[in-house]
Amino acid sequence: MKIPATVLLASALFLASCEEKKELTITETREATTRDKSPKLFATSDERFRDAKPSPVQGTTPESWLALPASQFRLLNYRFGESGMGEVWVSLSAGTVLDNANRWLGQFNATKLDAAGLNTLPTVTLAGVSGKWVTAAGNYDAGMGGPTKPGFALAGVVALVDGQILTLKAVGPKAELEANQPVLESFAQSLHMIE
Amino acid sequence: MENSDTPPLRKPSRTFLGKLFDVLSGFGLATITLLLLGLLTWFATLEQIDHGLYPTLKKYFHWQSVFILPEINGKTVWLPLLSGYWVGAILLVNLILGGVIRIRKGWSHAGNLISHFGIIFMLIAGGVAHHFSERGNMAVGEGESSNTAEDYFEFVVELTEIKENQPGLITVIRGDQINDLEAGKTRIFRLPEFPFDLEIGGYLVNAQPVSTFERAPDRQQQQADLYYLMEKPSEVNAEANNAACYVRILYRDGTKSDPFILAGASFHPFSVRIDERVFTVDMRKRLWPMPFTVHLDKFIADFHPGTSKPAKFISEVTRIDNNTETKVTIQMNEPMRYQGLTFFQASYGPPGAGPGEKMFTVFEVVHNPSDHWPEYSLYIVSFGMLITFMQKLIPHITSASRKKRHV
Repeated sequence: MKIPATVLLASALFLASCEEKKELTITETREATTRDKSPKLFATSDERFRDAKPSPVQGTTPESWLALPASQFRLLNYRFGESGMGEVWVSLSAGTVLDNANRWLGQFNATKLDAAGLNTLPTVTLAGVSGKWVTAAGNYDAGMGGPTKPGFALAGVVALVDGQILTLKAVGPKAELEANQPVLESFAQSLHMIE
Repeated sequence: MENSDTPPLRKPSRTFLGKLFDVLSGFGLATITLLLLGLLTWFATLEQIDHGLYPTLKKYFHWQSVFILPEINGKTVWLPLLSGYWVGAILLVNLILGGVIRIRKGWSHAGNLISHFGIIFMLIAGGVAHHFSERGNMAVGEGESSNTAEDYFEFVVELTEIKENQPGLITVIRGDQINDLEAGKTRIFRLPEFPFDLEIGGYLVNAQPVSTFERAPDRQQQQADLYYLMEKPSEVNAEANNAACYVRILYRDGTKSDPFILAGASFHPFSVRIDERVFTVDMRKRLWPMPFTVHLDKFIADFHPGTSKPAKFISEVTRIDNNTETKVTIQMNEPMRYQGLTFFQASYGPPGAGPGEKMFTVFEVVHNPSDHWPEYSLYIVSFGMLITFMQKLIPHITSASRKKRHV
């Protein structure tokens, strides 16, 4: 019968046209426009996806630390310790010195400070300015849905530098952090703001 | 008197094609298609509140969408409906077969015939707009010029060779050539003008490149240079989506590069060096070069007193075409039409800008070959209805006055 044969042929042609193309040859072009400025060539992935700019703060990286790429909230970013779980980072934060100190203490469920309590904390030089040295130990809950880490400790410095809150924070397994505290203090003193 | 020996007259039975013609040209089909269009429009109006206008239009009225299940308040309505494009196509066939071919001919039916032609013309205008129209936006700052619009939705991959730090002719891989390449699918793009080809895959409608240091991949996503693509839900406002994909360079010697990410959200292109030649590969919204330049001389925004909410905004521009300058004012309901393009005053920026701040204007740019066809079709339909009306009215008046004279 003619009709079924025609239907079969039409179906075959239709299915053939629907087959996914594995290769295509591209010839479409356009002229450059006012929107096509001189591109930044050989940009790194950090520059391509975060428009990463040089950090406003620099320091001397300790030999035993592993330098990592900066992130949205970490201007300088490192790992330390044999376990690989020790983290150190430098950030610019909102709030006050007291706010930041209490936020860190809260992550270890430690007693929060008032202004008088803050004044009792030891001082350490951070980027040429006297900052407050904050420590805590216990179960570390960084928040943001991450798991609580038992047996951790914190050591860090919070300072008001050029009108901004600069923080140096180290978190890791207690023993590894305590072993790195002298290195941390030395690194804090090496930090300086870039003009 | 009927002779009992004579068999009763029988109508010759309609052939299959004849019966098909009767159905396709009938009033019943016309009624059904019009009701369906009304129903589809109602469902789409409700659904676009949750899902956004563009995705809803695509679901209900795109030619690639055949059957749809409506959704209201997140709940599926189990009523399969033929999509608006195909209902409109059936209506078009019905109007041609019934409203033009099957309809009774003669001068007394001329008005109906003309009106049907007008409606057919309107449906064809809709089809032409659907398949061939382009729209984008152009943002221009005060004192600045632009000769380019940007598509609202389509992401493309673009390649060019860089010479003396400037891009040359740009090769474009269109969105419909890559947007079906979801996870696991790849396609090779042969580039005759380049010393390499591209293999593209893993296309995502809306995604953000994320560093593995910031957030570890949670679904074994492919990684490239310590980054991976984190898929995000499609935005209700589809213009805010940022597409992304994974790409490899295929060298002429048969080797392949490591995969790298192209993303609409990236700040800079990916660069390739081959034999001292430098190329860039990038993903961005499709740029649409205009045949002329628009310079924004002045942007005027009248604000409601004491607020930063504009009452109206007006763009005074200079259109520069082959060294010929023409002053034009573009404002709401008064677009600029030139060389088949229409510039509508769409919005302004920066967001939250108030009186006294430097602003930029945003035009919606539309190229629609059937831009005026709906208007013309209304004239045709009106003319046809006027003829029909006059053909009824004049005999009625004449007959009424004759009756009066005979009384």
